[in-house]
Amino acid sequence: MSNVLVELSNAMAAAAEKVGTSTVMVNARRRIPATGIAYGADLILTANHVVEREEGITVTLSDGSEVPATVAGRDHGTDLALLRLERPLAKPAETAQDAKVGQLVLALGRPSEAGIEASLGVVSAVGGPVHTRHGAIDKYIRTDTTPFPGFSGGPLADADGRVVGLNTSGFGHGAAITIPADLAWKVAEQLAKHGSVRRGYLGVRSQGVEISAAAQKALKREQATGLILIGVESDSPAEAAGLMVGDIIVAIDGQPVHSHDELFARLSGDVIDKSTPVEVLRGGQPQSINVKIGARK
Amino acid sequence: MNFSSLLNTALDDLLAQVRPVLAIVHNGRRGAGAGVLVGDGLVLTSNHVVARGRSFKVTLNDDASYEARVLSHDPETDLALLSIPANGGTSAVFSERDPRPGELVFAFGHPWGERAVLTGGVLSAVTTARTPRGEIPILRTDARLAPGNSGGPLLNAAGEVIGLNAMIFGGDQGIAIPASVIRKFLGMARSRVPANAVPEGVI
Repeated sequence: MSNVLVELSNAMAAAAEKVGTSTVMVNARRRIPATGIAYGADLILTANHVVEREEGITVTLSDGSEVPATVAGRDHGTDLALLRLERPLAKPAETAQDAKVGQLVLALGRPSEAGIEASLGVVSAVGGPVHTRHGAIDKYIRTDTTPFPGFSGGPLADADGRVVGLNTSGFGHGAAITIPADLAWKVAEQLAKHGSVRRGYLGVRSQGVEISAAAQKALKREQATGLILIGVESDSPAEAAGLMVGDIIVAIDGQPVHSHDELFARLSGDVIDKSTPVEVLRGGQPQSINVKIGARK
Repeated sequence: MNFSSLLNTALDDLLAQVRPVLAIVHNGRRGAGAGVLVGDGLVLTSNHVVARGRSFKVTLNDDASYEARVLSHDPETDLALLSIPANGGTSAVFSERDPRPGELVFAFGHPWGERAVLTGGVLSAVTTARTPRGEIPILRTDARLAPGNSGGPLLNAAGEVIGLNAMIFGGDQGIAIPASVIRKFLGMARSRVPANAVPEGVI
């Protein structure tokens, strides 16, 4: 007997099976194990808060083999940690581009030897940037899947068995959110290279301000808020580039900056040590000033 | 037809297929559980639905009620088999396939006393649970279950029974006894052979 319900059911089970081959069990805490996603053959991306120890970490792959692992890097801001396997036996996961509100998703976990576990839901919201306890994340996904115990660090998968994001309950209040795959993979790349996520340093103190209608006209776009500089530190990248108190930052690298969260988000990633255009309003007129953004110590 | 109406048709068919095999099991006390007709006038339900009951009554989909007697029960797998003097021919279809995590499932029962309610989700895990005498295979689902779902069927997308809903853990984890365990229980109960799995209560 075959109908669309059966076909949909088979597709979801196949998706769970496919992502399941890249979904591993992470043994790095005293309570029940958590979950991780294979980022590379020897690299496992998981939630930082489930990696409670640095030594004696093991990862159990989908075929049941147990491989010792070490911590390759951690980022508290996004609650992500990267583990390096002693042997490159993992099958890297395939990622999906964008999450759409309403799309069917599966939250997956491997908190025990019994096999892959799944929970169904839809993407409820895509939001961000948002402040976290130790930083900020640019974008997050919220779903109505059930975060079963040990699901932290595991994948949110689409119906084609691709990873949409990494689930974590590490941001407090017990609420689970999902870090979108593109963001999580970017962090993983930095963790693999540097062991930590480098955050950009401008050397300014700022405050949110409204942008007048006239200034918005001069900007040639609608942008209601920006960040006015109330301090520029000496020997900072901002000072070297000539940013001044009273300048209103409205964009970095072509991306509008409305708030501190956005400034924070724009200063992570690939901008460090690069000459980056910072758009400011000075005397009501837009100017682009190139700043060689530094690394925050 | 578009996908949505095809999906609705499939759900209608599923309901039409399983409605006749769903029963209500009254135990002479407050509350009631669900049950599944398995042929020969036999009704499968959860052991805890009948465990402390005094007199048993089974109501079928057509509203007919019958006195029932407990034929066999097993606390370890939380299964019980009742006998009613009716509906010899009607039986649920049990799945022969291995359950797959991620597949769509539907729980059918009477949560909080509301009759014949269908809740949906996926099969969350194929795992085991520890019992005083060892381990038994169980299924876990994220389909919403409530008191009154006990003894009701967990169905796959084809409307076949893959398990019997047994209990709720921690508010959000439904547990079902898989078809493989049910088959063994029914085999033993039907043959009325007292075996280890049915130590007492076999009449």
